[in-house]
Amino acid sequence: MDVSSMTIRDMRTALDERKISATELEGEYIANIKKYDDKLQSYITVTEELAMKQAEQAQKLIDDGKAMPLTGIPMAIKDNICTEGVKTTCASKMLENFVPVYNATVMEKLESQNIIMLGKTSMDEFAMGGSTQTSAFAKTKNPYDLNCVPGGSSGGSAAAVAGGLAPAALGSDTGGSIRQPSAFCGVTGIKPTYSRVSRYGLVAFASSLDQIGPIAKNSYDCAMILNAICGYDPHDGTSAKVNVPDFTEKLGQSVKGVKIALPKEFFGEGIDSEIKSAVLKAADEYKAMGAEIIECEMPSLKYAVPAYYLLACAEAASNLSRYDGIKYGHRTANAGSYEELIIKSRSEGFGDEVKRRILLGNYALSSGYYDAYYRKALALRQLIREEYAAIFEKCDVILTPTTPTVAYTPEMTSDPVQMYQADICTVTVNIAGLPAVSTTCGYNANGMPIGMSVIGKKFDEATVLQVSDAFEQGFTPVMPKL
Amino acid sequence: MDLDMVKYLAELGKLEFSDEELVKTANEMTDIIDLMDTVKEIDITYDALKDNHNAYLNDLREDVPAPSMETAKVLQNAVNTNNCFVVPKVVEQSLSKGVVIKWTYLQ
Repeated sequence: MDVSSMTIRDMRTALDERKISATELEGEYIANIKKYDDKLQSYITVTEELAMKQAEQAQKLIDDGKAMPLTGIPMAIKDNICTEGVKTTCASKMLENFVPVYNATVMEKLESQNIIMLGKTSMDEFAMGGSTQTSAFAKTKNPYDLNCVPGGSSGGSAAAVAGGLAPAALGSDTGGSIRQPSAFCGVTGIKPTYSRVSRYGLVAFASSLDQIGPIAKNSYDCAMILNAICGYDPHDGTSAKVNVPDFTEKLGQSVKGVKIALPKEFFGEGIDSEIKSAVLKAADEYKAMGAEIIECEMPSLKYAVPAYYLLACAEAASNLSRYDGIKYGHRTANAGSYEELIIKSRSEGFGDEVKRRILLGNYALSSGYYDAYYRKALALRQLIREEYAAIFEKCDVILTPTTPTVAYTPEMTSDPVQMYQADICTVTVNIAGLPAVSTTCGYNANGMPIGMSVIGKKFDEATVLQVSDAFEQGFTPVMPKL
Repeated sequence: MDLDMVKYLAELGKLEFSDEELVKTANEMTDIIDLMDTVKEIDITYDALKDNHNAYLNDLREDVPAPSMETAKVLQNAVNTNNCFVVPKVVEQSLSKGVVIKWTYLQ
Protein backbone atom coordinates (compact mmCIF):
# COMPACT_ATOMS: atom_id res chain seq x y z
CA MET A 1 0.00 0.00 0.00
CA ASP A 2 1.44 3.41 -1.02
CA VAL A 3 0.80 5.36 2.15
CA SER A 4 2.31 8.64 0.93
CA SER A 5 -0.66 9.27 -1.37
CA MET A 6 -3.28 8.37 1.26
CA THR A 7 -5.40 11.03 2.96
CA ILE A 8 -6.09 10.89 6.68
CA ARG A 9 -9.66 9.99 5.86
CA ASP A 10 -8.42 6.99 3.80
CA MET A 11 -6.07 6.00 6.61
CA ARG A 12 -8.87 6.07 9.16
CA THR A 13 -10.89 3.64 7.03
CA ALA A 14 -7.86 1.43 6.34
CA LEU A 15 -6.93 1.33 10.05
CA ASP A 16 -10.48 0.59 11.16
CA GLU A 17 -10.91 -2.13 8.52
CA ARG A 18 -7.50 -3.63 9.55
CA LYS A 19 -6.12 -3.17 6.02
CA ILE A 20 -3.10 -1.48 7.57
CA SER A 21 -1.81 -1.15 11.13
CA ALA A 22 -0.67 1.98 12.95
CA THR A 23 2.83 0.50 13.24
CA GLU A 24 2.97 -0.13 9.49
CA LEU A 25 1.88 3.44 8.82
CA GLU A 26 4.49 4.77 11.22
CA GLY A 27 7.17 2.55 9.70
CA GLU A 28 6.38 3.67 6.14
CA TYR A 29 6.57 7.35 7.05
CA ILE A 30 9.79 7.00 9.04
CA ALA A 31 11.25 5.13 6.04
CA ASN A 32 10.18 7.98 3.73
CA ILE A 33 11.77 10.52 6.07
CA LYS A 34 15.04 8.54 6.13
CA LYS A 35 15.01 8.21 2.37
CA TYR A 36 14.08 11.73 1.32
CA ASP A 37 14.61 14.23 4.10
CA ASP A 38 18.32 14.62 3.42
CA LYS A 39 17.35 16.48 0.28
CA LEU A 40 14.09 18.01 1.50
CA GLN A 41 15.32 19.17 4.95
CA SER A 42 11.78 19.41 6.27
CA TYR A 43 12.42 18.08 9.80
CA ILE A 44 14.62 19.48 12.55
CA THR A 45 13.98 16.54 14.88
CA VAL A 46 12.66 13.08 13.94
CA THR A 47 11.10 11.25 16.90
CA GLU A 48 11.41 7.70 15.62
CA GLU A 49 11.42 5.89 18.97
CA LEU A 50 8.54 7.89 20.36
CA ALA A 51 6.58 7.36 17.13
CA MET A 52 7.08 3.61 17.40
CA LYS A 53 5.80 3.56 20.99
CA GLN A 54 2.83 5.77 20.12
CA ALA A 55 1.98 3.55 17.13
CA GLU A 56 1.90 0.45 19.34
CA GLN A 57 -0.37 2.18 21.86
CA ALA A 58 -2.64 3.44 19.07
CA GLN A 59 -2.91 -0.01 17.52
CA LYS A 60 -3.94 -1.44 20.87
CA LEU A 61 -6.77 1.09 21.09
CA ILE A 62 -7.84 0.31 17.52
CA ASP A 63 -7.81 -3.42 18.31
CA ASP A 64 -9.92 -2.73 21.42
CA GLY A 65 -12.45 -0.77 19.33
CA LYS A 66 -11.57 2.47 21.15
CA ALA A 67 -10.18 4.44 18.21
CA MET A 68 -10.94 8.16 17.92
CA PRO A 69 -10.85 9.97 14.54
CA LEU A 70 -7.08 10.60 14.68
CA THR A 71 -5.97 7.48 16.58
CA GLY A 72 -2.97 5.96 14.80
CA ILE A 73 -2.60 8.87 12.34
CA PRO A 74 1.01 10.06 11.92
CA MET A 75 1.56 13.83 12.12
CA ALA A 76 4.45 16.29 12.03
CA ILE A 77 4.51 19.27 14.37
CA LYS A 78 6.00 22.70 13.67
CA ASP A 79 9.00 23.32 15.89
CA ASN A 80 7.46 26.32 17.67
CA ILE A 81 4.78 24.19 19.36
CA CYS A 82 5.88 22.93 22.78
CA THR A 83 6.20 19.16 23.00
CA GLU A 84 6.98 17.82 26.47
CA GLY A 85 10.34 16.05 26.49
CA VAL A 86 11.00 16.75 22.79
CA LYS A 87 13.26 19.62 21.67
CA THR A 88 11.38 22.72 20.48
CA THR A 89 13.91 24.98 18.81
CA CYS A 90 11.83 27.54 16.88
CA ALA A 91 14.62 26.98 14.30
CA SER A 92 16.76 29.35 16.37
CA LYS A 93 20.18 29.01 17.95
CA MET A 94 18.49 30.73 20.88
CA LEU A 95 16.42 27.60 21.63
CA GLU A 96 18.78 24.99 20.15
CA ASN A 97 18.70 22.86 23.31
CA PHE A 98 15.31 23.84 24.72
CA VAL A 99 13.25 20.86 25.87
CA PRO A 100 9.76 21.93 27.03
CA VAL A 101 8.58 20.66 30.38
CA TYR A 102 4.95 20.84 29.32
CA ASN A 103 2.84 20.24 26.24
CA ALA A 104 1.06 22.91 24.24
CA THR A 105 -2.72 22.51 24.58
CA VAL A 106 -2.95 21.38 20.94
CA MET A 107 -0.48 18.58 21.73
CA GLU A 108 -2.53 17.51 24.76
CA LYS A 109 -5.57 17.37 22.52
CA LEU A 110 -3.83 15.41 19.75
CA GLU A 111 -2.21 13.03 22.23
CA SER A 112 -5.59 12.41 23.85
CA GLN A 113 -6.59 10.99 20.45
CA ASN A 114 -3.34 8.96 20.30
CA ILE A 115 -1.80 10.41 17.16
CA ILE A 116 1.72 9.35 16.16
CA MET A 117 4.19 12.24 16.26
CA LEU A 118 6.80 11.77 13.53
CA GLY A 119 8.90 14.77 14.50
CA LYS A 120 9.30 18.54 14.59
CA THR A 121 9.39 20.45 11.34
CA SER A 122 11.60 23.30 10.24
CA MET A 123 10.40 26.88 9.96
CA ASP A 124 11.69 30.41 9.67
CA GLU A 125 13.42 31.41 12.89
CA PHE A 126 10.74 32.33 15.46
CA ALA A 127 8.24 32.11 12.54
CA MET A 128 9.67 35.31 11.07
CA GLY A 129 9.87 34.87 7.32
CA GLY A 130 8.18 33.39 4.30
CA SER A 131 10.83 31.03 2.96
CA THR A 132 12.12 28.76 5.78
CA GLN A 133 15.56 30.04 4.79
CA THR A 134 16.01 31.90 8.10
CA SER A 135 15.97 28.52 9.90
CA ALA A 136 19.20 28.01 11.82
CA PHE A 137 19.04 24.22 11.31
CA ALA A 138 17.20 23.10 8.17
CA LYS A 139 16.68 25.31 5.14
CA THR A 140 13.80 23.33 3.66
CA LYS A 141 13.39 22.85 -0.11
CA ASN A 142 10.23 22.79 -2.19
CA PRO A 143 9.26 19.21 -3.18
CA TYR A 144 8.10 20.48 -6.61
CA ASP A 145 11.51 22.00 -7.34
CA LEU A 146 14.37 21.49 -4.90
CA ASN A 147 15.94 24.74 -6.17
CA CYS A 148 12.98 26.70 -4.82
CA VAL A 149 11.86 27.60 -1.30
CA PRO A 150 8.82 25.88 0.29
CA GLY A 151 7.49 29.18 1.63
CA GLY A 152 7.22 29.88 5.30
CA SER A 153 7.23 30.18 8.06
CA SER A 154 5.62 26.70 8.28
CA GLY A 155 7.71 25.57 5.29
CA GLY A 156 8.88 22.33 6.90
CA SER A 157 5.31 21.28 7.68
CA ALA A 158 4.04 22.06 4.15
CA ALA A 159 7.03 20.43 2.42
CA ALA A 160 6.75 17.30 4.59
CA VAL A 161 3.07 16.89 3.66
CA ALA A 162 3.66 17.61 -0.04
CA GLY A 163 6.69 15.30 -0.19
CA GLY A 164 4.93 12.37 1.49
CA LEU A 165 6.99 12.61 4.69
CA ALA A 166 3.86 13.19 6.81
CA PRO A 167 0.17 12.86 5.95
CA ALA A 168 -0.57 16.04 7.88
CA ALA A 169 1.12 18.58 10.09
CA LEU A 170 0.47 21.45 12.45
CA GLY A 171 1.67 24.91 11.48
CA SER A 172 1.17 28.38 12.88
CA ASP A 173 0.07 31.51 11.02
CA THR A 174 0.81 35.08 12.10
CA GLY A 175 0.71 36.76 8.67
CA GLY A 176 0.25 33.85 6.25
CA SER A 177 2.63 31.23 7.63
CA ILE A 178 0.23 28.31 7.11
CA ARG A 179 -1.42 29.50 3.87
CA GLN A 180 1.62 30.74 1.92
CA PRO A 181 3.74 27.54 2.31
CA SER A 182 0.60 25.49 1.61
CA ALA A 183 0.22 27.42 -1.66
CA PHE A 184 3.92 27.06 -2.57
CA CYS A 185 3.91 23.30 -1.83
CA GLY A 186 0.55 22.44 -3.41
CA VAL A 187 -1.23 21.36 -0.21
CA THR A 188 -4.18 22.63 1.85
CA GLY A 189 -3.81 24.66 5.05
CA ILE A 190 -6.23 26.59 7.23
CA LYS A 191 -5.66 29.47 9.59
CA PRO A 192 -8.57 29.31 12.04
CA THR A 193 -10.34 32.36 13.46
CA TYR A 194 -8.19 34.14 16.05
CA SER A 195 -9.03 32.62 19.47
CA ARG A 196 -10.51 29.41 17.97
CA VAL A 197 -7.41 27.32 18.85
CA SER A 198 -5.52 27.75 22.12
CA ARG A 199 -2.10 29.41 21.80
CA TYR A 200 -0.93 27.95 25.12
CA GLY A 201 2.45 26.39 24.42
CA LEU A 202 2.91 28.08 21.05
CA VAL A 203 6.16 30.06 21.25
CA ALA A 204 4.89 33.63 20.94
CA PHE A 205 5.70 35.84 17.96
CA ALA A 206 2.82 38.37 17.80
CA SER A 207 0.18 37.41 20.33
CA SER A 208 -2.76 39.29 18.77
CA LEU A 209 -2.17 37.60 15.40
CA ASP A 210 -0.75 34.08 16.03
CA GLN A 211 -2.97 31.01 15.42
CA ILE A 212 -2.18 27.30 15.16
CA GLY A 213 -3.77 25.35 12.31
CA PRO A 214 -3.45 22.18 10.22
CA ILE A 215 -1.75 21.55 6.87
CA ALA A 216 -2.87 18.43 5.01
CA LYS A 217 -3.61 17.00 1.57
CA ASN A 218 -7.12 18.42 1.38
CA SER A 219 -9.85 20.31 3.19
CA TYR A 220 -11.48 17.20 4.64
CA ASP A 221 -8.26 16.21 6.42
CA CYS A 222 -7.84 19.77 7.69
CA ALA A 223 -11.41 19.62 9.06
CA MET A 224 -10.66 16.35 10.88
CA ILE A 225 -7.63 17.90 12.61
CA LEU A 226 -9.48 21.13 13.35
CA ASN A 227 -12.16 19.07 15.10
CA ALA A 228 -9.46 17.79 17.43
CA ILE A 229 -7.58 21.00 18.25
CA CYS A 230 -10.28 23.70 18.61
CA GLY A 231 -11.98 24.76 21.80
CA TYR A 232 -11.83 26.99 24.86
CA ASP A 233 -8.73 26.65 27.01
CA PRO A 234 -8.47 28.21 30.46
CA HIS A 235 -4.68 28.45 29.91
CA ASP A 236 -5.20 30.96 27.07
CA GLY A 237 -7.00 34.13 28.17
CA THR A 238 -7.77 34.95 24.54
CA SER A 239 -9.32 31.59 23.64
CA ALA A 240 -13.00 31.87 22.77
CA LYS A 241 -15.88 30.26 24.61
CA VAL A 242 -17.80 29.46 21.45
CA ASN A 243 -19.43 26.33 20.13
CA VAL A 244 -17.14 24.04 18.11
CA PRO A 245 -19.13 22.39 15.30
CA ASP A 246 -18.13 19.24 13.42
CA PHE A 247 -16.11 20.90 10.65
CA THR A 248 -16.61 17.91 8.33
CA GLU A 249 -20.40 18.26 8.40
CA LYS A 250 -20.77 20.78 5.55
CA LEU A 251 -18.14 19.11 3.37
CA GLY A 252 -19.62 17.61 0.24
CA GLN A 253 -22.60 19.96 0.37
CA SER A 254 -23.37 21.96 -2.79
CA VAL A 255 -22.15 25.55 -3.00
CA LYS A 256 -25.27 26.50 -4.96
CA GLY A 257 -26.37 29.94 -3.78
CA VAL A 258 -23.16 30.61 -1.83
CA LYS A 259 -22.06 34.20 -2.42
CA ILE A 260 -18.35 34.52 -3.20
CA ALA A 261 -16.77 37.99 -3.33
CA LEU A 262 -13.66 38.90 -5.34
CA PRO A 263 -11.97 42.07 -4.01
CA LYS A 264 -10.48 43.76 -7.08
CA GLU A 265 -7.35 44.98 -5.24
CA PHE A 266 -6.21 41.35 -4.79
CA PHE A 267 -6.13 40.93 -8.55
CA GLY A 268 -4.24 44.12 -9.39
CA GLU A 269 -0.67 45.13 -10.08
CA GLY A 270 2.02 42.90 -8.59
CA ILE A 271 0.01 39.69 -8.82
CA ASP A 272 1.50 37.21 -11.30
CA SER A 273 -0.75 36.86 -14.38
CA GLU A 274 -0.79 33.04 -14.24
CA ILE A 275 -1.94 33.20 -10.62
CA LYS A 276 -4.60 35.77 -11.42
CA SER A 277 -6.04 33.66 -14.24
CA ALA A 278 -5.93 30.42 -12.20
CA VAL A 279 -7.93 32.01 -9.35
CA LEU A 280 -10.40 33.66 -11.74
CA LYS A 281 -10.82 30.30 -13.49
CA ALA A 282 -11.65 28.77 -10.10
CA ALA A 283 -14.24 31.55 -9.61
CA ASP A 284 -15.78 30.53 -12.95
CA GLU A 285 -15.95 26.94 -11.76
CA TYR A 286 -17.73 28.02 -8.59
CA LYS A 287 -20.17 29.95 -10.79
CA ALA A 288 -20.76 26.81 -12.83
CA MET A 289 -21.51 24.99 -9.54
CA GLY A 290 -24.24 27.54 -8.81
CA ALA A 291 -22.35 29.97 -6.58
CA GLU A 292 -22.92 33.68 -7.02
CA ILE A 293 -19.79 35.73 -7.80
CA ILE A 294 -19.74 39.30 -6.51
CA GLU A 295 -17.15 42.00 -7.13
CA CYS A 296 -16.07 44.11 -4.18
CA GLU A 297 -13.38 46.54 -3.03
CA MET A 298 -10.84 46.67 -0.22
CA PRO A 299 -9.12 50.05 -0.55
CA SER A 300 -7.09 49.63 2.65
CA LEU A 301 -5.09 46.75 1.12
CA LYS A 302 -2.33 49.15 0.05
CA TYR A 303 -1.59 49.89 3.73
CA ALA A 304 -1.91 46.29 4.94
CA VAL A 305 1.74 45.20 4.75
CA PRO A 306 3.19 48.14 6.72
CA ALA A 307 0.30 48.01 9.22
CA TYR A 308 0.93 44.30 9.73
CA TYR A 309 4.70 44.66 10.18
CA LEU A 310 4.29 47.54 12.63
CA LEU A 311 1.83 45.57 14.77
CA ALA A 312 3.61 42.22 14.52
CA CYS A 313 7.09 43.60 15.18
CA ALA A 314 5.93 45.75 18.09
CA GLU A 315 4.48 42.63 19.70
CA ALA A 316 7.53 40.55 18.76
CA ALA A 317 9.95 43.06 20.32
CA SER A 318 8.00 42.72 23.56
CA ASN A 319 7.53 38.92 23.39
CA LEU A 320 11.17 38.23 22.59
CA SER A 321 12.40 40.27 25.53
CA ARG A 322 11.96 37.09 27.60
CA TYR A 323 15.13 35.60 26.06
CA ASP A 324 17.80 36.71 28.48
CA GLY A 325 20.11 33.68 28.61
CA ILE A 326 19.20 33.05 32.24
CA LYS A 327 16.05 30.95 32.62
CA TYR A 328 16.28 29.05 29.33
CA GLY A 329 17.72 29.50 25.88
CA HIS A 330 21.22 30.29 24.63
CA ARG A 331 23.60 31.63 27.29
CA THR A 332 26.82 33.28 26.21
CA ALA A 333 30.11 31.92 27.52
CA ASN A 334 31.65 35.39 27.42
CA ALA A 335 29.81 37.57 29.90
CA GLY A 336 31.56 39.52 32.64
CA SER A 337 28.47 41.27 33.97
CA TYR A 338 24.74 40.72 34.23
CA GLU A 339 24.03 43.30 31.52
CA GLU A 340 26.64 41.74 29.22
CA LEU A 341 25.14 38.29 29.80
CA ILE A 342 21.79 39.43 28.42
CA ILE A 343 23.17 41.46 25.49
CA LYS A 344 25.66 38.82 24.35
CA SER A 345 23.24 35.91 24.79
CA ARG A 346 20.63 37.70 22.68
CA SER A 347 23.10 38.90 20.05
CA GLU A 348 24.60 35.42 19.63
CA GLY A 349 21.27 33.57 19.83
CA PHE A 350 19.07 35.57 17.43
CA GLY A 351 19.51 35.59 13.65
CA ASP A 352 19.51 38.68 11.40
CA GLU A 353 15.78 38.73 10.54
CA VAL A 354 14.74 38.38 14.18
CA LYS A 355 17.06 41.26 15.11
CA ARG A 356 15.66 43.44 12.34
CA ARG A 357 12.13 42.85 13.60
CA ILE A 358 13.08 43.65 17.18
CA LEU A 359 14.60 46.93 15.97
CA LEU A 360 11.51 47.77 13.91
CA GLY A 361 9.20 46.94 16.82
CA ASN A 362 11.17 49.13 19.19
CA TYR A 363 11.17 51.93 16.61
CA ALA A 364 7.37 51.76 16.23
CA LEU A 365 6.88 51.82 20.01
CA SER A 366 9.51 54.35 20.98
CA SER A 367 8.79 57.84 22.17
CA GLY A 368 8.22 60.26 19.30
CA TYR A 369 7.27 57.52 16.83
CA TYR A 370 4.47 55.70 18.66
CA ASP A 371 1.60 57.83 17.32
CA ALA A 372 2.95 58.00 13.77
CA TYR A 373 3.52 54.27 13.44
CA TYR A 374 2.07 51.94 16.10
CA ARG A 375 -1.12 53.91 16.80
CA LYS A 376 -1.64 54.46 13.07
CA ALA A 377 -1.29 50.71 12.55
CA LEU A 378 -3.94 50.15 15.24
CA ALA A 379 -6.23 52.54 13.36
CA LEU A 380 -5.56 50.65 10.13
CA ARG A 381 -6.42 47.39 11.89
CA GLN A 382 -9.83 48.90 12.69
CA LEU A 383 -10.26 50.11 9.11
CA ILE A 384 -9.35 46.70 7.66
CA ARG A 385 -11.81 44.99 10.03
CA GLU A 386 -14.53 47.45 9.00
CA GLU A 387 -13.88 46.88 5.30
CA TYR A 388 -14.11 43.11 5.78
CA ALA A 389 -17.33 43.52 7.77
CA ALA A 390 -18.83 45.61 4.95
CA ILE A 391 -17.85 43.01 2.33
CA PHE A 392 -19.30 40.18 4.44
CA GLU A 393 -22.67 41.97 4.54
CA LYS A 394 -22.96 41.03 0.87
CA CYS A 395 -21.26 37.63 0.69
CA ASP A 396 -20.52 34.36 2.51
CA VAL A 397 -16.83 34.02 1.62
CA ILE A 398 -14.10 35.96 -0.17
CA LEU A 399 -11.83 34.43 -2.83
CA THR A 400 -8.27 35.75 -3.42
CA PRO A 401 -4.88 34.51 -4.58
CA THR A 402 -2.80 33.25 -1.61
CA THR A 403 0.48 34.64 -2.96
CA PRO A 404 1.52 37.19 -5.59
CA THR A 405 4.04 34.73 -7.11
CA VAL A 406 4.74 31.00 -7.08
CA ALA A 407 7.72 29.62 -5.11
CA TYR A 408 11.03 31.32 -5.91
CA THR A 409 14.73 30.57 -5.43
CA PRO A 410 16.46 31.30 -2.08
CA GLU A 411 18.48 34.16 -3.66
CA MET A 412 15.25 36.14 -3.95
CA THR A 413 14.97 36.29 -0.15
CA SER A 414 17.93 38.63 0.39
CA ASP A 415 15.89 41.86 0.25
CA PRO A 416 13.76 42.18 3.43
CA VAL A 417 11.42 44.79 1.93
CA GLN A 418 10.66 42.62 -1.09
CA MET A 419 9.96 39.71 1.26
CA TYR A 420 7.61 41.78 3.41
CA GLN A 421 5.69 43.00 0.35
CA ALA A 422 5.17 39.38 -0.76
CA ASP A 423 2.81 38.96 2.24
CA ILE A 424 0.22 41.28 0.67
CA CYS A 425 -2.40 38.58 0.02
CA THR A 426 -2.38 37.01 3.49
CA VAL A 427 -1.79 39.61 6.24
CA THR A 428 -5.24 41.24 6.28
CA VAL A 429 -6.80 37.95 7.41
CA ASN A 430 -4.63 37.93 10.54
CA ILE A 431 -5.17 41.64 11.13
CA ALA A 432 -8.95 41.06 11.07
CA GLY A 433 -8.73 37.73 12.98
CA LEU A 434 -10.64 35.82 10.27
CA PRO A 435 -10.44 32.16 9.18
CA ALA A 436 -8.97 31.38 5.74
CA VAL A 437 -7.94 28.25 3.89
CA SER A 438 -5.46 28.00 1.04
CA THR A 439 -5.88 25.20 -1.45
CA THR A 440 -4.27 24.45 -4.80
CA CYS A 441 -6.16 25.77 -7.84
CA GLY A 442 -3.63 25.08 -10.59
CA TYR A 443 0.02 24.96 -11.67
CA ASN A 444 2.05 27.46 -13.66
CA ALA A 445 3.86 26.71 -16.91
CA ASN A 446 6.81 25.29 -14.94
CA GLY A 447 4.61 22.99 -12.91
CA MET A 448 4.78 25.02 -9.69
CA PRO A 449 1.60 25.00 -7.56
CA ILE A 450 -0.73 28.02 -7.38
CA GLY A 451 -2.81 28.55 -4.24
CA MET A 452 -6.12 30.35 -3.77
CA SER A 453 -7.53 31.51 -0.45
CA VAL A 454 -11.11 31.26 0.75
CA ILE A 455 -11.67 33.75 3.57
CA GLY A 456 -14.68 33.47 5.87
CA LYS A 457 -16.60 35.26 8.59
CA LYS A 458 -15.36 34.90 12.17
CA PHE A 459 -15.88 31.36 13.47
CA ASP A 460 -17.27 30.21 10.11
CA GLU A 461 -14.50 27.74 9.26
CA ALA A 462 -17.24 25.27 8.29
CA THR A 463 -18.30 27.35 5.26
CA VAL A 464 -14.70 28.17 4.31
CA LEU A 465 -13.87 24.45 4.23
CA GLN A 466 -17.13 23.62 2.42
CA VAL A 467 -16.17 26.04 -0.37
CA SER A 468 -12.53 24.87 -0.69
CA ASP A 469 -13.65 21.23 -0.55
CA ALA A 470 -16.17 21.83 -3.36
CA PHE A 471 -13.35 22.98 -5.65
CA GLU A 472 -11.06 20.11 -4.61
CA GLN A 473 -13.74 17.58 -5.61
CA GLY A 474 -13.27 18.53 -9.27
CA PHE A 475 -9.52 19.14 -9.15
CA THR A 476 -6.80 16.55 -9.75
CA PRO A 477 -3.62 17.48 -7.88
CA VAL A 478 -0.21 16.64 -9.39
CA MET A 479 2.05 15.01 -6.80
CA PRO A 480 5.73 16.03 -6.76
CA LYS A 481 8.42 13.41 -7.41
CA LEU A 482 11.35 13.38 -5.03
CA MET B 1 18.03 55.63 9.44
CA ASP B 2 21.28 56.91 10.92
CA LEU B 3 23.75 54.87 12.92
CA ASP B 4 22.87 56.60 16.19
CA MET B 5 19.22 55.56 15.83
CA VAL B 6 20.20 51.94 15.12
CA LYS B 7 22.46 51.99 18.19
CA TYR B 8 19.62 53.42 20.28
CA LEU B 9 17.15 50.78 19.08
CA ALA B 10 19.73 48.04 19.64
CA GLU B 11 20.20 49.27 23.18
CA LEU B 12 16.44 49.14 23.77
CA GLY B 13 16.39 45.57 22.41
CA LYS B 14 19.51 44.49 24.37
CA LEU B 15 21.38 43.70 21.16
CA GLU B 16 24.86 44.60 19.96
CA PHE B 17 26.19 44.93 16.42
CA SER B 18 29.73 45.13 15.05
CA ASP B 19 30.58 48.34 13.14
CA GLU B 20 30.12 46.50 9.85
CA GLU B 21 26.76 45.01 10.91
CA LEU B 22 25.65 48.43 12.11
CA VAL B 23 26.12 50.00 8.67
CA LYS B 24 24.38 47.11 6.89
CA THR B 25 21.49 47.16 9.38
CA ALA B 26 21.10 50.95 9.06
CA ASN B 27 20.75 50.62 5.28
CA GLU B 28 18.21 47.80 5.59
CA MET B 29 16.23 49.67 8.24
CA THR B 30 16.12 52.77 6.03
CA ASP B 31 14.41 50.75 3.29
CA ILE B 32 12.07 49.10 5.80
CA ILE B 33 11.06 52.46 7.33
CA ASP B 34 10.39 53.81 3.81
CA LEU B 35 7.85 51.00 3.42
CA MET B 36 6.37 51.67 6.90
CA ASP B 37 6.01 55.35 6.03
CA THR B 38 3.18 54.41 3.66
CA VAL B 39 0.85 54.43 6.69
CA LYS B 40 1.41 58.19 7.02
CA GLU B 41 -0.47 58.76 3.74
CA ILE B 42 -3.86 57.96 5.27
CA ASP B 43 -5.60 60.28 7.71
CA ILE B 44 -7.34 58.06 10.27
CA THR B 45 -7.36 57.89 14.06
CA TYR B 46 -7.38 54.90 16.37
CA ASP B 47 -10.53 54.66 18.48
CA ALA B 48 -9.87 52.48 21.54
CA LEU B 49 -13.60 52.23 22.29
CA LYS B 50 -14.20 50.35 19.06
CA ASP B 51 -12.04 47.47 20.27
CA ASN B 52 -14.34 46.72 23.19
CA HIS B 53 -16.49 44.37 21.09
CA ASN B 54 -13.82 41.69 21.60
CA ALA B 55 -15.26 41.12 25.06
CA TYR B 56 -14.22 37.47 25.18
CA LEU B 57 -10.56 38.45 25.03
CA ASN B 58 -8.67 38.58 28.29
CA ASP B 59 -11.29 36.41 29.94
CA LEU B 60 -9.33 35.66 33.08
CA ARG B 61 -9.66 32.47 35.10
CA GLU B 62 -10.83 32.43 38.68
CA ASP B 63 -7.92 32.30 41.15
CA VAL B 64 -7.76 28.71 42.36
CA PRO B 65 -4.85 27.54 44.53
CA ALA B 66 -2.92 24.76 42.79
CA PRO B 67 0.59 23.33 42.99
CA SER B 68 3.08 25.16 40.77
CA MET B 69 5.75 23.55 38.63
CA GLU B 70 8.50 21.68 40.51
CA THR B 71 11.78 23.57 40.92
CA ALA B 72 13.71 20.91 39.00
CA LYS B 73 11.43 21.38 36.00
CA VAL B 74 11.60 25.15 36.20
CA LEU B 75 15.41 24.95 36.17
CA GLN B 76 15.67 22.18 33.58
CA ASN B 77 16.50 24.48 30.67
CA ALA B 78 18.77 26.90 32.51
CA VAL B 79 22.49 26.58 31.73
CA ASN B 80 23.86 27.69 35.07
CA THR B 81 22.02 26.50 38.16
CA ASN B 82 22.64 25.81 41.83
CA ASN B 83 19.07 24.93 42.69
CA CYS B 84 18.28 28.43 41.48
CA PHE B 85 19.02 30.64 38.47
CA VAL B 86 22.60 31.90 38.71
CA VAL B 87 23.71 35.17 37.13
CA PRO B 88 26.91 37.22 37.26
CA LYS B 89 27.02 39.54 40.23
CA VAL B 90 24.79 42.56 39.89
CA VAL B 91 26.30 44.67 42.70
CA GLU B 92 29.44 46.78 42.77
CA GLN B 93 32.74 45.75 44.39
CA SER B 94 31.50 46.36 47.93
CA LEU B 95 30.62 42.66 48.24
CA SER B 96 33.24 39.92 48.25
CA LYS B 97 34.69 38.97 44.88
CA GLY B 98 32.85 36.30 42.91
CA VAL B 99 29.67 36.51 44.97
CA VAL B 100 26.74 34.57 43.49
CA ILE B 101 23.47 36.44 43.52
CA LYS B 102 20.55 34.08 43.74
CA TRP B 103 17.12 34.96 42.41
CA THR B 104 15.65 33.91 45.69
CA TYR B 105 12.02 34.42 44.71
CA LEU B 106 12.35 31.63 42.18
CA GLN B 107 13.96 29.08 44.49
